Amino acid sequence: MSVAETQTFAKIRRFPILPERGKVSLFEILLLVVCVALVAARLPPSMGDVLLLTFLFAGLGLAWNIAGGYAGLISFGHAAFFGVGAYTSTILFVHFNVTPWLGIWCGALLAGIFGAVLALVCARLRGPFFILSTLAFAEVVRIGALNWSSLTGGPEGLSIPPTASLINMVFTSKTTYAALMLGYVVVVYAISKALEASRYGYYLLAIRDNEDAASAAGVNPLQGRVAAMALSASLTGIGGSLFAQYFLYLDPTFVISPEISFQFALLPAVGGLGTAIGPVLGSLLITPLSELLRSNLGNAAAGLHLVIYSAGLIVVMLYFPGGLAGAIAKLKRWRPFS
Amino acid sequence: MSALLEVHNVSRKFGALMAVNNVSFSVGQGELLGLIGPNGAGKSTLYNLIAGVLPPTVGEIVFNGQKVTGWKPYDVARVGIGRTFQIPKPYRQLSVVENVMLTAFLREKSTAGARKLAEATLADVGLADYFGTPVNALTVGLLKRLEVARALAMQPKLVLFDEIMAGLTPTEVGVMTKFVAGLPERGITVVWVEHVLYAIMKTATRMIVLNRGELIAEGLPVALARDPAVVKAYLGEEMDFA
Repeated sequence: MSVAETQTFAKIRRFPILPERGKVSLFEILLLVVCVALVAARLPPSMGDVLLLTFLFAGLGLAWNIAGGYAGLISFGHAAFFGVGAYTSTILFVHFNVTPWLGIWCGALLAGIFGAVLALVCARLRGPFFILSTLAFAEVVRIGALNWSSLTGGPEGLSIPPTASLINMVFTSKTTYAALMLGYVVVVYAISKALEASRYGYYLLAIRDNEDAASAAGVNPLQGRVAAMALSASLTGIGGSLFAQYFLYLDPTFVISPEISFQFALLPAVGGLGTAIGPVLGSLLITPLSELLRSNLGNAAAGLHLVIYSAGLIVVMLYFPGGLAGAIAKLKRWRPFS
Repeated sequence: MSALLEVHNVSRKFGALMAVNNVSFSVGQGELLGLIGPNGAGKSTLYNLIAGVLPPTVGEIVFNGQKVTGWKPYDVARVGIGRTFQIPKPYRQLSVVENVMLTAFLREKSTAGARKLAEATLADVGLADYFGTPVNALTVGLLKRLEVARALAMQPKLVLFDEIMAGLTPTEVGVMTKFVAGLPERGITVVWVEHVLYAIMKTATRMIVLNRGELIAEGLPVALARDPAVVKAYLGEEMDFA
């Protein structure tokens, strides 16, 4: 090996192969390259839809994971934050002609406030009681959106005029949307990785694992919970706005549904709770699977796609309790020749 | 010796039960105060009052010249009171070094700095070989040492030890006793609840005895062993067989 080769090799060796806390791994770099290539490949529109939804839900799963995975605040009400984000940017755009590029941040802020309020109100609740209250919270937001017709359009919904332009954040090409969604994933992923490596990330894990011990270590558990939920809600709100800009139509029953909430929780659960790579792997597996099953089997045998989908989930939950990320971590310790 | 911790007439009621009844004592800077008493004497409740887990019903607690009565545990920790839990409360999903890093963060804000401090503290208590070990793989003795490391990694002014010898082998007790005895020299004042009496009798500079929530004796370890009130609390009344 030449000197140059040795040096390059040494540089590569500084990156671990598989994802690790606080480090960028070759696996993550490779995954990003593949994702960029998929966007650049300009897939046919039907595949483009699947791709951009996979990215969007990976970002939303990552956002959920900050509260549900790291801080242990399992929420089945994140559709509320998704809805708050989506409606805020859309209402600002449709009623007040504010560009979504600005509205998206207003949505994030408002969703963050909603998240902080939820965490404060449910501060004393734990386990199943907390989960149920998040579910109820989302229902309250949904019913509120249904009835405040002057603002949200009520059950008839709210449409974004499909005039494509950069300032309107409306595009004709699926590739542009896919690039936008990929950008969202990269940002939320970077935030998750930075959190994992920082003091605050450890604080959340401590609060999740043992509140008394965390308190004795100088950590304020309520403050940690509120901050985690606010950040998670805020990032979910951004995802909501992006979804609105792609789908161009919002209606409370669809956008703020329990099904959407469950989906956010499911992706990290399948991929690996409390890891940054988990929700991404979860979405890469689950989103295309559910979309393809629906489009291929939806007409021929109604409901069959859900059966196959659920069976797949059961298999993953049974055999990979740590999720896909847990399976990878096991692979790292696997020494076949020793 | 100036008083680092002062407990003034502190009581705590649970319903009709006086778990801690009008207790006053002080701990001087650099002392190693032993706190003993039979089961149910109120030792753990007293710790919880000092550490802020429970507010006292009446009374006042002053630490380092500052009134800390009724403060929250995290605020008490931040002014420099570390503690161990009688039943270890580790973060089950984190490794040994990460468990200790969480208290080290009180002194070292960066992850790398906290890791260094945590590793040094772990080496101190003899856990140098266990940095990356998952907590679930530790034996009781090792878990107790982890508790000690966690309390010390925040570099407290005062540390409250709660039965750190329980479940340890005699050899381990010897090593740990020596370690605890060395803490005051390093600027860490110690209050120590212990049932392994021979360990604490040897090490403590002064002892106080609790029984049924009340402070019944105070003094040097040797003197206390002969104190009739203490003997009675531990062994009951002397019987007359005549």
